[in-house]
Amino acid sequence: MSTIAETAPRNQARRRVRIDGWRWGGRAFLVFMLLYTALPMIWMLLTSIKSGFAAMQFPPQWWPDQPTLASYQKLLDPQNSVGQDFLRFFWNSLFVSTATTILSVVVAVPAAYAFSRFTFPGRNFLFFAVLLRNMFPAVIFLVPLFILMRAIGLVNTHGSLILTYLTFGLPLAIWLLKGFYDNIPVQLEQAARIDGATRFQAFILIVMPLSAPGIIATAIYSFIGAWNEYIYAYTFLSKNEQLTLPVGIQRFFSENTTDFPGLMAASFMMSVPVVVLFLVLQRYFVRALTEGAVKH
Amino acid sequence: MAHVVLKDLVKTYGNFKAVNEVSLTVNDGEFVALVGPSGCGKTTTLNLVAGLTSITSGDIVIGDRVVNDLDPKDRDIAMVFQNYALYPQKSVYMNLAFPLQMRKLPRHEIDRKVKEAARVLDMTQLLERRPRELSGGQQQRVALGRALVRDPAVFLMDEPLSNLDAKLRVQMRSEIKRFHQDLKATIIYVTHDQLEAVTMADRMAVMNGGYLQQYDSPARVFANPVNMFVASFVGSPAMSLIPLEASTANGDTVLTSAEGWSLGLSQRNARKVKGATTRKVVLGARHSTIRLHKSAVPGAIPAKAYTVEPTGDVTFVQAFLSGAIVNISVSPNIAVIPDEQIWLEFDQERMHLFDGETEMALEAD
Repeated sequence: MSTIAETAPRNQARRRVRIDGWRWGGRAFLVFMLLYTALPMIWMLLTSIKSGFAAMQFPPQWWPDQPTLASYQKLLDPQNSVGQDFLRFFWNSLFVSTATTILSVVVAVPAAYAFSRFTFPGRNFLFFAVLLRNMFPAVIFLVPLFILMRAIGLVNTHGSLILTYLTFGLPLAIWLLKGFYDNIPVQLEQAARIDGATRFQAFILIVMPLSAPGIIATAIYSFIGAWNEYIYAYTFLSKNEQLTLPVGIQRFFSENTTDFPGLMAASFMMSVPVVVLFLVLQRYFVRALTEGAVKH
Repeated sequence: MAHVVLKDLVKTYGNFKAVNEVSLTVNDGEFVALVGPSGCGKTTTLNLVAGLTSITSGDIVIGDRVVNDLDPKDRDIAMVFQNYALYPQKSVYMNLAFPLQMRKLPRHEIDRKVKEAARVLDMTQLLERRPRELSGGQQQRVALGRALVRDPAVFLMDEPLSNLDAKLRVQMRSEIKRFHQDLKATIIYVTHDQLEAVTMADRMAVMNGGYLQQYDSPARVFANPVNMFVASFVGSPAMSLIPLEASTANGDTVLTSAEGWSLGLSQRNARKVKGATTRKVVLGARHSTIRLHKSAVPGAIPAKAYTVEPTGDVTFVQAFLSGAIVNISVSPNIAVIPDEQIWLEFDQERMHLFDGETEMALEAD
């Protein structure tokens, strides 16, 4: 042991010298990527606290002379017509995304478990059939789904969006969760069943807690997908009071002027739930994507 | 504790017969090892007893109940898995408590039993740890503890030692044996390691290709293997099996080799060969029953040493006879060098003769 401990740092030092160029190149690339992703968001935030006039100035005010939260106040004010719209869109998005998430988890968990644990006729066929939907670009299904929704009378309802988002989200949720269940040794359930649990209890008491990170990750995935979706929401919904945020934000582009601070404030608030979700649960998300990469 | 009876047990997967008409009885308090190479059906058999796999036909009796259609939880069994199957999200204490919680024991009773089990297995100081914070040997002990905390009718163990390193394996082997002696527990123990079966079990069931080959005490299996498979599987290094041809010369029965030499037989062995329906006979000899001579001796077979493996207490010499590898053990103070001419003398009392076609042991009458 001691010899290893003594020689290890020296080896490391020698290696560090050799790959220094790569290391700095890598850092430069990361800094570039950071700016590339962060700058637009910073600009969004800065614009949202400018006045309408300041936002249009050229050369731009890099830092607003008179920062103001007026746009936010307007958006969150239920007395104001803009605020009413925004809050309604926000609520619509939250409803559609949450319903999509809950439904996809409720369906994906047992489906993924069945694909992982049981052998039944047509299992492989079904599993790939589930993925078939994701092999085509989403837009291909836009018109057929619209016709279908019209036929069953779901156009202009949130149900049409929830159903559509499930067709995107579910296959991936099932795929992701199946990977998770595959990684939970079947012996754990067998042990639980011998220890006195029914098959269902073994699933609830032993497998579910272990797959919680996977369930959280798939839930985030479904939620973000539904929260950000634009094309289908734009096509299926036309009534103002039903719009979701990505479509509703368009209302800030009016015929005459565009309220850039208002638009940016709305965009910022639209990003908040996603960012918060991601920050709080990213630990699980990373675990889900790398699950099974190494033996624990 | 209880006895276990398997009667004509069959498990098929499609056209594949994993377990084929296996019948055996495990007496109350007996330690039985199911042993065989991988894919021989031993683990499937254990899973059938546990109820984790449904049986195709046959009967399983535990105690006095036919348990064919009972859920695992209702069979009153405990199982130790190869990968221990400890619940990773639970502490050692909760792992041990789980079987008791599932049986809805009162909390103070659970606490008492868990602490008792921890004391027996000497892991009281580990109770608050998570399984991943334990060493392999400690995990193995927790798995054992979870099995014994409930005082089941039968213990099932599926290769519980094969994930441990060699030294720990030997140590845990004696711990499990001691555990059996102290508890007088009925244990069915699956292993691919014949040494584990021989050293631990009261009786061993040797399986191959889904069939039960032989079921007897290790000593008897070792001394009287029923066929060539059992003969070569049990014992290390494996029994040497030399294919020969029986013939009669001057009224004496001899075994001749394609290499030109022949081996005379004792009267008893000659009777065995005469009773056979074929002239093809396979001579089986364990390394310790073959004497190695450095010069020609009447009745000894000439051979060339192929490899020499000193192990310290004993040196193993390998040679080829009739195309088969022959293992011979000699005292380390006898120097043999590779390619040296040697003469091999077979012990007539302890040699085995097998029918070259059915591969079954030949009997004297």
